[in-house]
Amino acid sequence: MTAAAPETALDPDAAQAAIEHCYARGWSDGLPLVPATQPLADEFLAAAGREPDEVIGALPQLDRQVTVGLAAVNAVMAGCRPEYFPVVLAAWEALTRERATRGGGWQSTSGPAPLIVVNGPVRGELGFNAAGGVFGPGFRPNATVPRAIGLIVRNVFGIHPHELEQATQGLPGRWSICLAENEEESPWPPLATAAGLPPGASAVAATLLRTCEFVDNRHTASAEQLLADFADTIGRSGAWIFRYASAGIVFCPEHAQLLAGAGFGRAEIRAFLAERSGRTTAELAAVGKDALDSNGVRLPGDGAGKPEFQPQLPDDEPRNLLIAVAGARNAGISMVVRLFGGWSGEAVPVRSKAHD
Amino acid sequence: MPNAILDPTGRADHTPQHAAGLALAPRRASLAGVRVGLMDNTKHNAALLLAEIGKLLITEHGAAVTVAATKANFAAPAPDDLIQRYRQDCDVVITGVGDCGSCSASAVADGIVFEQAGMPAAVICSDAFRVTATAMAQLRGVPDYAYLVTEHPVAVLSGEQVVQRAKRLLPGVVDMLTSGTSQ
Repeated sequence: MTAAAPETALDPDAAQAAIEHCYARGWSDGLPLVPATQPLADEFLAAAGREPDEVIGALPQLDRQVTVGLAAVNAVMAGCRPEYFPVVLAAWEALTRERATRGGGWQSTSGPAPLIVVNGPVRGELGFNAAGGVFGPGFRPNATVPRAIGLIVRNVFGIHPHELEQATQGLPGRWSICLAENEEESPWPPLATAAGLPPGASAVAATLLRTCEFVDNRHTASAEQLLADFADTIGRSGAWIFRYASAGIVFCPEHAQLLAGAGFGRAEIRAFLAERSGRTTAELAAVGKDALDSNGVRLPGDGAGKPEFQPQLPDDEPRNLLIAVAGARNAGISMVVRLFGGWSGEAVPVRSKAHD
Repeated sequence: MPNAILDPTGRADHTPQHAAGLALAPRRASLAGVRVGLMDNTKHNAALLLAEIGKLLITEHGAAVTVAATKANFAAPAPDDLIQRYRQDCDVVITGVGDCGSCSASAVADGIVFEQAGMPAAVICSDAFRVTATAMAQLRGVPDYAYLVTEHPVAVLSGEQVVQRAKRLLPGVVDMLTSGTSQ
């Protein structure tokens, strides 16, 4: 991207007219777009070292294909800088590994949001926020990378709200959840390393969320009490519509360090929570979710033949309980994230010219 | 000369793949003796609603049999092998319930495929999803594709309410399968 022009050479009237043009064409998610030009899109392609015709996603049922070139145009419009584009492509690829994004996920009544987790040196190089206020706003890469994903879904897949997109309420921050992991204050290996990539790799993991909900617990020094608080939030019935449900936790550094100090790694946390997150059959009966129909959907039953306690997580595998660390080391506030399905369990390396 | 503003959709000069329009499958004057395919999409009460409509087609309209199967992935159009099975075993098909964002759209896509395969089809969607069902019909180049709607919600109905719903839908289903329109 060329350096900023001297202020006197800027033409705000031309800029405004171009922005209004983008609105008029129906391309916007509601916020102003950066009008895309070929020279700028070419800078994005060059930064990624990718060919514009390469197909990186398709929804045959909608007769739509995403190419690298179209992704670049949408990343420009989202406000990305060229050097962010390899991260956009890695996030997109990570999302295509989720079954729901290849089916009806983007059209769903649940209106799911991508959760994008960035690891490795690319965080610092591009200025991703990994610390305070990590769920946003305030940081250009964290804000524009997920917005680019949303614009690709809107413009390239043609999935518009009130038309092919049927979100009942949607969720806050649908196209704005992109975290860099706080590797420096995490007691555990980076998420991408846990997912099997080499240590130090710049990489992106992603999945779809129904929502996020905080666990604020600042006054216990007991790892078991702290995890019991997470088990309660994970196990709540409202988030539970099939036999099982999957979740994730974005731990703040304080919680992560407390747990690590008591000997808990990711695997031990998953084992603890898989056993304890859930509700009794009586509690589920009280909300009309104690039984299952033949398709595995929860509905009212008579409780017969059910165990006293029903676990919510299907097992203690990473795909059903994603664990990352992000945020400031200033309070015991973490976020439980509600997965739309399961996580692929994978991370995608960021392939950029700069890292070739 | 300033740079042109790029179109982010890739569709600026696109003509829809399926723009040929749709010739409905040939209709029979009556459903006497026909084999009725029922394709439920796993949505709650869908299988029961289709089964009840099937029963009424047998008892009140002389249909021969019903053949029920489930489309396991409600979000996507029916796979080819499933369409072929219906083609072998049935003369007409009823499918639904389009009761979510993706499944209402894909139910309409299925109905169009069945018609193209020569089988009269009746697609049932919840009235809360008309817009997305119609959007899919437009996408398939058949903007005036006719489907049946039933009041939302369907998933919370009791068994007895589903039976009543089936009775109300029956005349529309018969019209759709015999004339290709519904009153």
